[in-house]
Amino acid sequence: MTAVAEPRARPRPSTFTRIRGWLRNPWGKPRFLVVFTWAYIAWSIVPVLIAVQFSFNATRSRTIWDSFSTRWYWGDPVDSVWHDPTLRHALVQSFKLAGADVLIAVPLGVLLALGLARWHGRGSGVSNFIMLFPLVTPEIVMGVSLLLVFTQLFTFIHTGTFAQILGHVTFSISFVVVIVRARLFSIGRQYEEAAADLGASPFVALTRVLLPLLTPAIVASAAVVFAISADDFVISQWLSKGGETDTVPIQIYAATRAAPLPSVNAIATIMMVSTLLIVTAGFLTWRVFTRGERRAGKAAEDFGGAFNLT
Amino acid sequence: MMHHPKERPGSLSRRGFLLRSAGAAAALSGAGGLLAACGNSTSVPQATGTGGELVGPGGLPLARPDKRVTLPLWEDPIESGLEPETGGTFTVYNYPAYFYKKLLKEFGAKYDVEVQYTPFDNINSGLARLASGAVQPDVMEITPDTLDIGVAGKLIKPLNLDYIPNLQKNIWPQLVDPFYDGGSQYTVPYTCYATGIAWRTDKITEDIAGMEQPWDIFWESQAYKGKVALLSENRETIGMALLRKGITDINTEDATLVNQAVSDLKELYGVCNIKVDDIQYQSVPEGSSWLHQAWSGDMIAGYIYYLPKGTPASALGYWKAEHGKVPVQNDCFAICSTTKKPVLSHIFLNYLLDNGVAYENFVDFNGYQPPLNEIDPESLVKDGVVPEHLANSVLTDADLGTDSLQYGTLTSKGQQLWEDGYSNFLAGGS
Amino acid sequence: MYRRWLWPGFAFPGILWLIVLFVVPFYAVLGVSLGTVDPILFQPVPIWNPLEWNVGWLTEVFNRLAPGGIWFDVGIRTIVYVAVSLAVCLLIGYPVAYYAARHAGRWKGVILILIILPLWISYMMRMLAWVNLLQADGYVNRFLMFTHVLSQPRDWLGGRPSTVILALVYGYIPFLILPLFASLDRIDRSHLEAARDLGASRWSAFRTVTLPLSKTGILGGAVLITLPMFGDYFTPNIVSSSPTTSMIGNQIDLYFHSGPQPTIGAALTIVLAAFLTLLMLYYLWSIHRAQREVGAVGAL
Repeated sequence: MTAVAEPRARPRPSTFTRIRGWLRNPWGKPRFLVVFTWAYIAWSIVPVLIAVQFSFNATRSRTIWDSFSTRWYWGDPVDSVWHDPTLRHALVQSFKLAGADVLIAVPLGVLLALGLARWHGRGSGVSNFIMLFPLVTPEIVMGVSLLLVFTQLFTFIHTGTFAQILGHVTFSISFVVVIVRARLFSIGRQYEEAAADLGASPFVALTRVLLPLLTPAIVASAAVVFAISADDFVISQWLSKGGETDTVPIQIYAATRAAPLPSVNAIATIMMVSTLLIVTAGFLTWRVFTRGERRAGKAAEDFGGAFNLT
Repeated sequence: MMHHPKERPGSLSRRGFLLRSAGAAAALSGAGGLLAACGNSTSVPQATGTGGELVGPGGLPLARPDKRVTLPLWEDPIESGLEPETGGTFTVYNYPAYFYKKLLKEFGAKYDVEVQYTPFDNINSGLARLASGAVQPDVMEITPDTLDIGVAGKLIKPLNLDYIPNLQKNIWPQLVDPFYDGGSQYTVPYTCYATGIAWRTDKITEDIAGMEQPWDIFWESQAYKGKVALLSENRETIGMALLRKGITDINTEDATLVNQAVSDLKELYGVCNIKVDDIQYQSVPEGSSWLHQAWSGDMIAGYIYYLPKGTPASALGYWKAEHGKVPVQNDCFAICSTTKKPVLSHIFLNYLLDNGVAYENFVDFNGYQPPLNEIDPESLVKDGVVPEHLANSVLTDADLGTDSLQYGTLTSKGQQLWEDGYSNFLAGGS
Repeated sequence: MYRRWLWPGFAFPGILWLIVLFVVPFYAVLGVSLGTVDPILFQPVPIWNPLEWNVGWLTEVFNRLAPGGIWFDVGIRTIVYVAVSLAVCLLIGYPVAYYAARHAGRWKGVILILIILPLWISYMMRMLAWVNLLQADGYVNRFLMFTHVLSQPRDWLGGRPSTVILALVYGYIPFLILPLFASLDRIDRSHLEAARDLGASRWSAFRTVTLPLSKTGILGGAVLITLPMFGDYFTPNIVSSSPTTSMIGNQIDLYFHSGPQPTIGAALTIVLAAFLTLLMLYYLWSIHRAQREVGAVGAL
């Protein structure tokens, strides 16, 4: 018997109570959303990872894993990407179109973005509308119209690589404009006006001040154009003249409707890795160039914010 | 026409009798006489014919197995006894991967030319591009029902058969002088095939060949829902529904018959959730399809190239109807009017009809048989090219004849009818 | 002085390109759909003069799309697939965008990269991935049988609408999440805090503040995925080759790649484009209205 009452130990809460408390914590993050988001990300990416995995399968199966092998990349003397001329040509054609697309669409798009952002006179609204329309036009509509215009109106341009390049540039310009324009808005007119105050002509203000500031957006849009050109299926197919102007997506499409070999997984992987490397390079360039300006740790969002079209 | 087993099929590379594509506009004056009516017309203008009979493109008569047609010569063939041209390039215009490259190289080496292979998606787009001047090939593949277009449009040249002795020597008599090109004035045959049913004997329990009307199996395939498919081709699908009901005029232009056939086909949605594709040579051996309308070369190609390890050859089954009830078709080769080497082109046609060349093309690459006299089911089974139970995939001269069935050219109206019927089927509605 | 022409001058090459290769082709489609066909090669013969236009093909297309016509079912089916896909995309995409924009904290950059990632992976490759998974002996069936959800393999690729919708959702959802994210990201936290201070529950704050402010993002994303989805024909072809799941794009494809009536294909393209223009105009009007509503709030 003691004179001092011992402090009563608080009963440890049950597991159920603890979990419920964790779930209901008003200051904590919403748990459901966390789980849901990560589940979505997994659902979104894991199938592609599995497809990449099977491109290294030793057997012909795309569903049953055997063992690791680079057979479909260069090993198999007939069907590997390296040895099968159809697949090789598709890869080359895809890169050709994407490269040409970047070289043409980016300058046109940058000029157009500058023009539309600063132009407030008559015709600017219509031009803006014309620029936005390709972004929402279904590709089959664009494919049909381009095919018909090349075969009925501009008949000196036959279907083939040149027509495909023209088609790719047509839908790529709008992407460049959207990205560059977003960057223009965030820069504002301050730098140009400062340059003008200091006596620079508009031309100098443009080339020495504005364009360097725009470089990250230009690089980013080049990466984006490369990616969407490499990804394009409908326009490339409709303007193709047959085997030698087929691109990688066309080959994948043809193969998915049959029962393809893992070599098509391989070619898709090669294309994907190339695109990702280029996009990463573009993104890193964006990061480097906007070092001074961005809010801490949010370069990715600025990049993503360019996609807000409204 | 069909595409080679190794070719990757897509929605564009479809065999088709009447495939058209929006290729280059034809500045052909055969179109003269059509009125751009300020109007309300959905008829494709019909080229006029004599005597009120049905005619095809360019006013040429419609050839049928029992109705021979001798095509008009729009220019004289070249003279006999000339020397072949050498040097430069020689272009073969065909479906993708439909001719063994090794044989092309050998031809090129022999005549000192560089042989190039230009593919087209289908014959009609190929002809359209030829007409527009986008390509200038020397020889091209063509089918009897697109032959009219080639002749009416002056896209293929008449032949001088003195340069092509192999035609008479090696080829089935009925194709030496075929009904669609009397006297072989423009074409030589290339491969031949029939349409029938292919299935997995280990999955389908019914004895299809023993049924009274084997085509009925499609309408009784509830147990195989999702694994049943037809060829993605308007003539073959509607034709099959006609044959099933015993109608042997597969070139009919009677709207009632065609629409009834389409209604019959639509029943298949509910029965087996019917699919349409053209990959049967791969999907049946691999097991993703258990019952498929198929051409006769498909199971041979499937057996040679696509049978996975562990699946026995006996798992493949093929049936085709008896003579007079089975559609039999063949492809041809012709010389393009854009050729700069007409003599060499003739020699090439002779080359592809050579026994050794045609056989090698078939067994080592193509999978679809040439109409050679020396090929018959027994010899192919003996050589191990074809397993015994698929011997009915091999055709012989006896399969042709005036009572045989062949999908031929239709009038413009007929083609519209069949195309719209197929569109109806493909729309999947009620 | 020349300054007036400087900016329009910059815009000129791009606009000229778009006019020549985007606007003019629509006139080519119009000319073909209102023209006629060459009877030998069955190539379209366009009629350029509006006074001579042949409206037969367009009338035929309208008849087929009307109730009772052979394309009525396809048209309805396409609209249903697009609507359902949009709904599913929103149901999945909105929570993800919301989390990434508002709650991700230090994970925000990583999550954003992972969300953007599918955009750079070819659409065809993503479809290929699913086709592999959905085979009879693919991982999906094996997993479902392993967890005893299924007792035998299910035939996913045998012509099921659910598979087509799954594929459409999978293919297009990244294009919805991004604009949604961008618009949610721009919503000022202070608005939400104000609502909470005024006593709103979490759900009701979301409903009355966040949701309306993100409306432009929802609409933008919806337009960005539904309009192209209406013309999709390759997705049903890849995951189901059945006529019962075909979409209206398949009919355009059919008439252009086979048959003597490319004019029908062109006419259907015109009708589809007109229908989508109407939707686009509705979108622009909604944006205009939404912006006016929240004009006072700013930050949009």
